[in-house]
Amino acid sequence: MAEHTVASFDEDLRQISRLINDMGDLAASMVGASTRALLETDNALAQRVVSDDAIMDARQRELDDRAITLIAKRQPMADDLRNVVGSIRMAGDLERIGDLAKNIAKRVGSVGVSTAPRDLTHSIDSMAQMVLIQVQAVIQEYTVGDATALAKLRNDDERIDVKYTSVFRELLTYMMEDPRNITACTHLLFCAKNLERIGDHVTNIAENAYYVLTGTQLPANRPKQDETAMSAPAA
Amino acid sequence: MKPMLSADLNAPETTVEKAKIEVKNLNFYYGQSKALKDINLSLPERSVTAFIGPSGCGKSTLLRVLNRIYELYPKQSAEGQVLLDGKNILDRSQDLNLLRTKIGMVFQKPTPFPMSIYENIAFGVRLYEKISKAEMDSRVEQALKRAALWNEVKDKLNASGLSLSGGQQQRLCIARTVAVKPEVILLDEPASALDPLSTAKIEELIDELQADYTIVIVTHNMQQAARVSRQTAFMYLGELVEFDRTEKIFTSPREKRTQDYITGRFG
Repeated sequence: MAEHTVASFDEDLRQISRLINDMGDLAASMVGASTRALLETDNALAQRVVSDDAIMDARQRELDDRAITLIAKRQPMADDLRNVVGSIRMAGDLERIGDLAKNIAKRVGSVGVSTAPRDLTHSIDSMAQMVLIQVQAVIQEYTVGDATALAKLRNDDERIDVKYTSVFRELLTYMMEDPRNITACTHLLFCAKNLERIGDHVTNIAENAYYVLTGTQLPANRPKQDETAMSAPAA
Repeated sequence: MKPMLSADLNAPETTVEKAKIEVKNLNFYYGQSKALKDINLSLPERSVTAFIGPSGCGKSTLLRVLNRIYELYPKQSAEGQVLLDGKNILDRSQDLNLLRTKIGMVFQKPTPFPMSIYENIAFGVRLYEKISKAEMDSRVEQALKRAALWNEVKDKLNASGLSLSGGQQQRLCIARTVAVKPEVILLDEPASALDPLSTAKIEELIDELQADYTIVIVTHNMQQAARVSRQTAFMYLGELVEFDRTEKIFTSPREKRTQDYITGRFG
């Protein structure tokens, strides 16, 4: 893309892209750290995630300020306009991902994973890996401008939903098997739900990024496979 | 021949609209130099069309062809067709005075006549119609009301048109144009010499006038084009590069040249 006649306009846009990248990196690191803290009962790591969330919030506020100032000063058009508005929305989703990671981290103290069956932590672990890959990929594909990859990534969220359904059923089984599992499993259930919600935010980011890059919206209906709503209210 | 570009082809919310003006294979020359290159364009009735593009792209030239005002100058000539309700106005048999009652024009600089506010409006009407004093009073009042100027001047209709502020003078010119009951109004940078408040009044006026008139506006102010028009034509070096719904042009234009221009990445 050619540079703007007004060079400081490019600089303003670069600052916004940099913030999106920073927030994306931070979100991925928070998701990775929170699940590791959960599975390894690492309270110090959990605490770091909680404090990272404050950084995430500060980044989002900075991005909002910059975006609003840019709109007021430059009145962006076409791809610039999509970029700025899309960045505001993506930053909102990244900030929510940070919140959800913080929620997972805050449960670390109460879960007592050691009392939960080992198979269960494996399921959560593999779900967390799927989510983490999505979080990392979405910002990367946006940065390199690969709209096709973003469309695919958005559809890949379906696998997380399927995984969540199976984790949910597994947890129910453990709770029925032994009521002493109920406390740990309930916390883990919330964590799994948080991971599933993170996947949904990645989907939103992918949709926004796709629109920023192409100027067209992805079709509204995406396959939806969270079936737990059929058997229980969502967390 | 290039295909006819019609903004409405891609407009999901509109049904097929009647074209008020159709430009077909239009070429225009300043002496030997070709200023418009094979322009094909269809302007729908009762809506606002904006022409945008860098200086020298031909947008004002195209506007000036639509009422043949270029003929006031030597060595300027047009080839092709401009159909107003299906009739070619470039035809030699076209009565120019009649054409200019149908197609009014407002220029960048306000051009009130050096006469009273009342006479500024009555003058044009009298050229074409014989009407009584009472009818003329009513016509002047209506025109000034349409141009959102009545409340500001109703107590000083005999004051000179030149005594008004720039924004008021421009609205007076619009009132003068409206008074002869045109079908099309051409606006050549109508607000570029005005302060933001006067500009807002002119834009509000354009918004109201489009219920009754087909309006074509040339503007360098992209935000203004985005605000007031329903379709936008981007021109560059005498060519019509892209013509589409205004929302489309300003959010996701098809052509890279359009995108570069409206985002400020040009040249």
